[in-house]
Amino acid sequence: MRALAGAPLALRFEALSFRYPAAERWALERITLRIEPGELVVLAGRSGSGKTTLLRAACGLVPHLDGGEFGGRAVIGGLDSREHGPGDLAAVVAYLAQDPEAQVVSTTVRAEIGLAPALRGAASQAQARAVEEAALALGVAHLLERTTDSLSGGELQRVALAAALTGRPSLVLLDEPTSQLDPVAAEELISLLRRLNEQWGLTVVLCEHRLDRCLDAADRVIALAAGALAFDGSPAAYLGWALDHDEESATPLARVCRAAEISAPLPVGVRQARARLRPLLECAPSGAPAEAPMPPAVRRRRSRPADPVALRAAKLWVRHDDEIGRPEALRGLELEVRGGERVALMGRNGAGKSTLLRALAGLAAPWRGIAEAPGGIALLGQNPSDYLVRDRVGEELPGESGARALAAVGLSAAVDRDPRDLSGGERQRLALAIVLAGRGEAGAAMPGLVALDEPTRGMDGGRKRELHRLLGRFGEAGAALLVATHDVEFAAEFADRVVLMAEGRVIADGGVETILSGGWYFSTQVGRVFGDGIATVEAARKLLAARRSLHTNSVEVPR
Amino acid sequence: MRSPYAYQPHGGALGRAGVGAVGAWTFALATVAFLSANPLLSAALIAALLVAGALSGAQRAVRAATRAGLVLGLFVVAINALVVRRGETIWIRAFDLPLLGQIDITAEALAEGAALALRIWAVLLVFALFSARVNPDAILLALRRVAARSALTATLVCRLVPLAAADQARLREAVMLRGPGAAPVGRGALARRLLTGSLERSVDVAATLELRGYALARAPRRRGRGERLAARPADLEMTAAAAVCLAVAIGARLSGLLDFEAYPSLRFDHDPISATAVVAIAVIALLPLAVRAR
Repeated sequence: MRALAGAPLALRFEALSFRYPAAERWALERITLRIEPGELVVLAGRSGSGKTTLLRAACGLVPHLDGGEFGGRAVIGGLDSREHGPGDLAAVVAYLAQDPEAQVVSTTVRAEIGLAPALRGAASQAQARAVEEAALALGVAHLLERTTDSLSGGELQRVALAAALTGRPSLVLLDEPTSQLDPVAAEELISLLRRLNEQWGLTVVLCEHRLDRCLDAADRVIALAAGALAFDGSPAAYLGWALDHDEESATPLARVCRAAEISAPLPVGVRQARARLRPLLECAPSGAPAEAPMPPAVRRRRSRPADPVALRAAKLWVRHDDEIGRPEALRGLELEVRGGERVALMGRNGAGKSTLLRALAGLAAPWRGIAEAPGGIALLGQNPSDYLVRDRVGEELPGESGARALAAVGLSAAVDRDPRDLSGGERQRLALAIVLAGRGEAGAAMPGLVALDEPTRGMDGGRKRELHRLLGRFGEAGAALLVATHDVEFAAEFADRVVLMAEGRVIADGGVETILSGGWYFSTQVGRVFGDGIATVEAARKLLAARRSLHTNSVEVPR
Repeated sequence: MRSPYAYQPHGGALGRAGVGAVGAWTFALATVAFLSANPLLSAALIAALLVAGALSGAQRAVRAATRAGLVLGLFVVAINALVVRRGETIWIRAFDLPLLGQIDITAEALAEGAALALRIWAVLLVFALFSARVNPDAILLALRRVAARSALTATLVCRLVPLAAADQARLREAVMLRGPGAAPVGRGALARRLLTGSLERSVDVAATLELRGYALARAPRRRGRGERLAARPADLEMTAAAAVCLAVAIGARLSGLLDFEAYPSLRFDHDPISATAVVAIAVIALLPLAVRAR
């Protein structure tokens, strides 16, 4: 949506700087920007670049709650944050933080969504209407009578957003709102934000790592690097900038287009990309076959019968112990994974992915059937910080097996560091080392199965690549890898097999190119353009290279 | 697994009445329990609270409080018997314990411990009912009326325990998932991690509460006439029952009724007037719940 003429600025930063107490460098450094009312802005940048701090400064939490050194001005909806704290700014701005559990104040979903109108003294009918509309918009109407402690992370995220929107803010700030959502819910959320933006003039600032999900909906992209403004422009211009400066922060389709030498402006969404790439995909030179040969398949490991069984689930039923909603989390699930396989476990929120991992690790008792990991299992849950209890890395992992586990994750040099001083990626690796320590047979560092639950939440492209490499090393050591994830792009890059779950059962099981290229939702951005059989950037590049090699110079390829 | 003391929406008088009215009712019963150690009074209160739990669908909370009350009560009885050396009726004479020296166990010390245990049980039941049947969301809004600028206090009151419970479940699982080569985690380290983590998250929740408008200039809530009329009788009945219970108990104490003396020999009022007062307190406390049981 274009900016609304004549309206006051939604947000204005003037040389805004902020440094956390005892921090060496500035989290934000002389940021000057203006956001017009009615804009939908995507905030991009690597982990630690200052995105969250910027959002917290835009709602007054910086500096009023997060003390530190503050310079410059932040004016939100005409209110200067030096004079107005978050309590006052709540009249114009809503903020949705990363951790949904820390954003729930009330006991029931209905009370949570109705809290903002209640605090503003709304009449009961107005409250009821606000709750109903927000619940319908966010798809949580069926949860209204549930207690908030019974919700999954994805459900909590949607409830928190509904609760933030019922205060009728003119500016909404969202910090990775799709990080806990399955692809279906994530697309619905972005569509909803776009609709609120277009129809009601809501100004949206959306911080995301998964730009493939939201760039198409944005009017503008602001990128931060090391606390400073690195880019401010249109989404198409951003893609060009990202490819020149940090390829990992560009969308998969932008990378494919760059490889295909598509000229600027680069396509922002799937539809544009399809139009720009169509000539390359459809044109065949005279006498050449209309269909170019498929590219050499991206190397994918297939399991062999000789590989040891790392995971076996047979007729597995697991029931919830809290009598909430549908009693069965798993319903007769069948699955076998062998050593060395890399499996992405996917499905909607509540499909049973985490329950399967918990059953394998002995945290959830099967009601019927078998769940076993014959070679042992190391399971890393969704919150790596939960594993860090002591003040020194070496104290978490003493002795020879500890040292071996630290070496396996590349943290041998960090034994004397405080876990709280580690970066997010290092903390995750340390947590992995903690769950791995001493599990390998006969002195090996690896158990038969290494499982991770949503390991890429809140990760930028670089950290995902790092995790991918680390898991690759585990796989080469013979461990089977099982990653429950909503991140379709990561699954496409990491896995050689995708298991899709729904309603506690496996509904599809096959290679990445098969599962992640044909569906409407569980499909990569590349898969949506190239269709069946092509899901990854690498496969698309190879296909385009094969096509181009068939073209003669007489065929003009529009750029 | 949800805590048995966690709030669950439910009908009945305790579910329908406002925070203030239920607060007054529970405060009155807890105060009555503290006014006298007379076991007749404690037993009547306990009976009333058990019935109240059943009428308001809080059996799970009542069972948990009863278990806790029994454990704590037995502990109090044992300690009181071992530590107090008063009383004329010696049941077990002169045995030696390390640190405590020569011990005589008297019937009076046991009876005093038992009376204390009954009061503890009664008070635990009161708080179990309050916790399970009073909506923390309503407490939050009520707190705002008296402390609109203190979102952190409100958060600590309403969310610290649920947050700590959720964190504890997660941290326990993380401990179970540690590899055998990782350092074991003792209860102390876990408790420290839990406390710091819960406080940090409470600060985050307080920030959320601020941003939802907790400290915004308060507009009076506009209620329809029907809504106002529907809400008042239940509140009035609860508040009136609380006031009458408290008045009867205070009146009885001022009149010298409901006495309890453990030493030198056990003596407590159980005459017809005292018994009538005790029954009246229990019945009056239960009246609003019985009237609006459905």
